[in-house]
Amino acid sequence: MSVKRAIAAGLAISSIALANASAAAAGDVSVTVDRSHITTKLGQKIVFRTTIANHASSPTGPLIAHLNVLSFRNGVEVDPEDWSTHRTRYLGTIPARGARTITWNVHAINTGRIALYVAVLPQAGVNQPPTTGRTVQLVVAGRKTLNSGGILPLALGVPALLGLLAGGMRVTRRRR
Amino acid sequence: MIATAGPNVRHRRPHAWAIVAEQELRDLWLGGRGLLLGLAFSVLLSIIAYLTATNQALNFLEQRESVNLTLQVAIAVGSLLALLAAADAVSGERERSTLESVLLTPVSRLELTGGKMLAALSLWLAAFAITIPYVWFLGRGVQLVGHALLTGIVVGTLLALFLASLGMIVSVFSNSNRVSLTLSLFLLLAIFAPTQLPSSAQKGWAGEFLLRVNPLTAGEHYVGKILVSGHTWNEDVSWLISPVVAAAVFSVVAAIVGARYIRLGRGGGE
Repeated sequence: MSVKRAIAAGLAISSIALANASAAAAGDVSVTVDRSHITTKLGQKIVFRTTIANHASSPTGPLIAHLNVLSFRNGVEVDPEDWSTHRTRYLGTIPARGARTITWNVHAINTGRIALYVAVLPQAGVNQPPTTGRTVQLVVAGRKTLNSGGILPLALGVPALLGLLAGGMRVTRRRR
Repeated sequence: MIATAGPNVRHRRPHAWAIVAEQELRDLWLGGRGLLLGLAFSVLLSIIAYLTATNQALNFLEQRESVNLTLQVAIAVGSLLALLAAADAVSGERERSTLESVLLTPVSRLELTGGKMLAALSLWLAAFAITIPYVWFLGRGVQLVGHALLTGIVVGTLLALFLASLGMIVSVFSNSNRVSLTLSLFLLLAIFAPTQLPSSAQKGWAGEFLLRVNPLTAGEHYVGKILVSGHTWNEDVSWLISPVVAAAVFSVVAAIVGARYIRLGRGGGE
């Protein structure tokens, strides 16, 4: 019984130590972005990069980077899935003093001022706050897209006119 | 055709190619075939214009891109119509057993070819006329209508001339319409194939060379540069080299082939 207790105590101590070590490693991770302001037009694609660096002398555990998208304006619904189809990246471990750079492709779906930021968290699911980089401020200008009003009369009218003409010709030929 | 009264009455006989062209145009347009093709063409443009204007995903295109898309389809399909009409020109007569009576008329084969080519090109001109209201609708408000129509008529006419000449050459050597149309469409698909290459394959010197050397891709690229990128006419004029060369070379070859090789049967036997 005492042996079992000793093993359980040992396991508890080692798990606390591991958790502390992993927390320390996560604290040594930084996220930097290559651009802080981007101006684009609606529908355009933009690219920015984040570098996740490990400043510790030991490698990190497996990490996950996740891109978040939100609007600064109240009432504007942003669906991040539309903005980027590949928002979660499984980075694996980053060696001591090493870094990984990730390229994010983003499609500007809404107009206005949009915030993009990347959060990095351990894949092990340790309950600790994610490390985030600076926010990329994206300004999306509107573009002149078509006004659909009036297309139906044109879309139906031209073929109808040609159809009438073809029909009229046919009738005239038959009468002759 | 023109007769003047008086002591020195001179009867000016119209050029034979004009008579051939008039007859072919009558057959094409009063016979109803041209109007039916025009109707099908207008239905296609209506579908594209309607989708561009109302479909959420397509309406995401900028207005310039919408005009470009519609004009490029109009040029491609309008040229295809000219190709189809030309591919039927000689092989069709041969198949309907009317070529003999045509060859017996006092019209040189060169003039016969010229007249038939003009009639085939009328399909492109009609297609362009049908395109005008669509381009006007899609391009109004961005001062693009004039540029689009001018670019469309220049590039489209070059491509239509090239494809109609190609169709005529094939038609002269084909015994039946089926062979002529199949071969013409096969060649057209081969010419269109590079437009379907992924954009990554169109980069680099080899990709650009492929785009430049193909009259269709070069012409459509030129249209896109003017309409979407807002370039001037001179800026990308080098992209027009292959459409101009193809139109000139193929129309000369079609004239020579028409003048020398139109026969009742493929192996001669006039």
